[in-house]
Amino acid sequence: MKPSQNMPCWYYEKADLKKTPSFCDGISSETEGRYRREGPRFIFDMGTRLGLHHDTIATAIVFFHRFYMFHTFKKFPRYVTATCCLFLAGKVEETPKKCKDLIKVARSLLNEGQFAQFGDDPKEEVLTFEKVLLQTIKFDLTVEHPYKYMLQYAKALKGISFYTQFQYNLSFGERSKIEKLVQMAWTFINDSLCTSLCLQWEPQIVAVAVMYLAGRLCKFEPQDWAYNRGRWWEQFIDDISMDLLEDICHQVLDQYSQQKGNKGTVSSKVKRERPKTPGDVDKSAEPQAKSSRSEIHKPTTKVRVVY
Amino acid sequence: MATSNLDFPFCHDVGKYERITKIGQGTFGEVFKARDRKTGRLVALKKVIMENEKEGFPITALREIKILQLLKHENVVDLIEICRTKPTQFNRSKGSIYLVFEFCAHDLAGLLSNANVKFTLGEIKKTMLQLLEGLFYIHRNKILHRDMKAANVLITKNGVLKLADFGLARAFSFTKSGQANRYTNRVVTLWYRPPELLLGDRDYGPPIDLWGAGCIMTEMWTRSPIMQGHTEQQQLTLISQLCGSIAPQVWPGVEKYDLFQKMDLPKGQKRKVKERLKAYVRDQYALDLIDKLLTLDPKHRIDSDEALNHDFFWTEPLPCDLMNMLSQHKTSMFEYLAPPRKPNHAQGSSAQAHARHGPHGAVAHQQQQPTDPSYDRIF
Repeated sequence: MKPSQNMPCWYYEKADLKKTPSFCDGISSETEGRYRREGPRFIFDMGTRLGLHHDTIATAIVFFHRFYMFHTFKKFPRYVTATCCLFLAGKVEETPKKCKDLIKVARSLLNEGQFAQFGDDPKEEVLTFEKVLLQTIKFDLTVEHPYKYMLQYAKALKGISFYTQFQYNLSFGERSKIEKLVQMAWTFINDSLCTSLCLQWEPQIVAVAVMYLAGRLCKFEPQDWAYNRGRWWEQFIDDISMDLLEDICHQVLDQYSQQKGNKGTVSSKVKRERPKTPGDVDKSAEPQAKSSRSEIHKPTTKVRVVY
Repeated sequence: MATSNLDFPFCHDVGKYERITKIGQGTFGEVFKARDRKTGRLVALKKVIMENEKEGFPITALREIKILQLLKHENVVDLIEICRTKPTQFNRSKGSIYLVFEFCAHDLAGLLSNANVKFTLGEIKKTMLQLLEGLFYIHRNKILHRDMKAANVLITKNGVLKLADFGLARAFSFTKSGQANRYTNRVVTLWYRPPELLLGDRDYGPPIDLWGAGCIMTEMWTRSPIMQGHTEQQQLTLISQLCGSIAPQVWPGVEKYDLFQKMDLPKGQKRKVKERLKAYVRDQYALDLIDKLLTLDPKHRIDSDEALNHDFFWTEPLPCDLMNMLSQHKTSMFEYLAPPRKPNHAQGSSAQAHARHGPHGAVAHQQQQPTDPSYDRIF
């Protein structure tokens, strides 16, 4: 969407992200961080059950993070907000689901105590939340996500890779490496949604960062053979410092260390399925059912980028 | 949950505007002229109807808001903000939502229905120029208006034209894979509906809005809608009588529409657009542009870019500002406020400035249209 003078700015400095309404309401940063992971994971699980498109799921999660920049988790229980965000995102992204169906799925995913958040009339509660949500996000409904930029950049890199293959006789293995990178980066985008990154950086920047991270992890660095000797991302975005990329990577990775000891969250209750990948990616580029996230969750896998 | 005492930093109370008068009414709800209490700025308030909504905030309203936020252009109505009313005991604890638009003094249907308002050729050119600029802009942004008609074309007191009412609008895409889109064809008020929609096309595009532009352009001279069918069948007949028979010779591929066989399409009709309109439209360039806008085959219908390059806009008299002409008229002219031209007509014109029909409005509207066949019929 075009920038408009009366649209709010949804990007915050790190200091502002610490002084959230919840923090001011006596909720610790750690607890809020956990809530900001649990809500999005719950949205992922519901969305996957309902067969929703990844953009719908991501839009719901962005709404969720924005909402809690103005309200506290004490006043607005996270599972109701999460359900409401997915309900609204469904309509906004032209993939509407009925409110009662969303509630049905929520009930099946939550335990009794968690579902008690919805009160006596769950549907009415979600509809009431919707009005608060719409006004809180100032009806700013058009949200972009890193997925499409990541795919766009990967496509461009693939083109270069083909070109260099003929120039320098590189193996066709380079091509499949890009596909592996796309797979991994896709998963990192999903994971980034469980952090406050969407409140800090534009989707283009997050896309470059997760590709950079994935490149490091699969020991594949497009800049090795970029013909103009620059960093590969410079053709997409100007002026991203290494410090910034590393900071974003750390934020994506940090949640895995925080994960430990947090068993019994919502997501453990359901069999995790992958959100759908778009049709314009090669089949081989689709994240496999058991790709990086579940592996990374293993305490034995020490994932840390060595710089 | 008590939401009445929440503070919304981004959503003002509609009380900041002082209501002046009602300027529209229809299935969608009410539209008011209002004034910003602080700045004195005039606005139009359009209420989002929430009653009977089982699924919360209506998806049609979300669509309209999304599209209006995307479109920022001189010739597209400007959405200023979205306001709310506080839930009180008087509205059963349900707050309402209002879309706040810049106020435009007139709509084109209102102006055309007032015989005292006279457009010179240069002023007609300026009107059409702005209308096509607006269409060019929205189509470039991949938006179809889908409800072009004179009542949805607003004009400010300074003579700036604004396309309004995006309640039926939607985003479109050119499909890459050759797979056809499946949009609803129940759009556009019957009298302005292009032949491809009447034949049930669901993979349509920008040409549907240009047909409407052709109807509106003709109306600049005839002063009332040129083809006032009561049914889709009759509308197709009226179109055939003006634009010639709908046949594969002039429209390759038309036989593929299911309705092409099912509808009763007059055969052997000659195209008489210029011949029948020259009594009203004496300018040759104008006739030629109307002829190109009212082309049956959407693939061959002129697009907004070509239309803007048409000699009509580049020959004497050149397009001329509307401000002087409008300054002679002190009162607002909206179709809603216009005196009925015949008894019972008022209920027929449910179309207003800043207003929209629901998704089925275009269909509902059709049943409300006047049944008196002698009503201001041009053809």
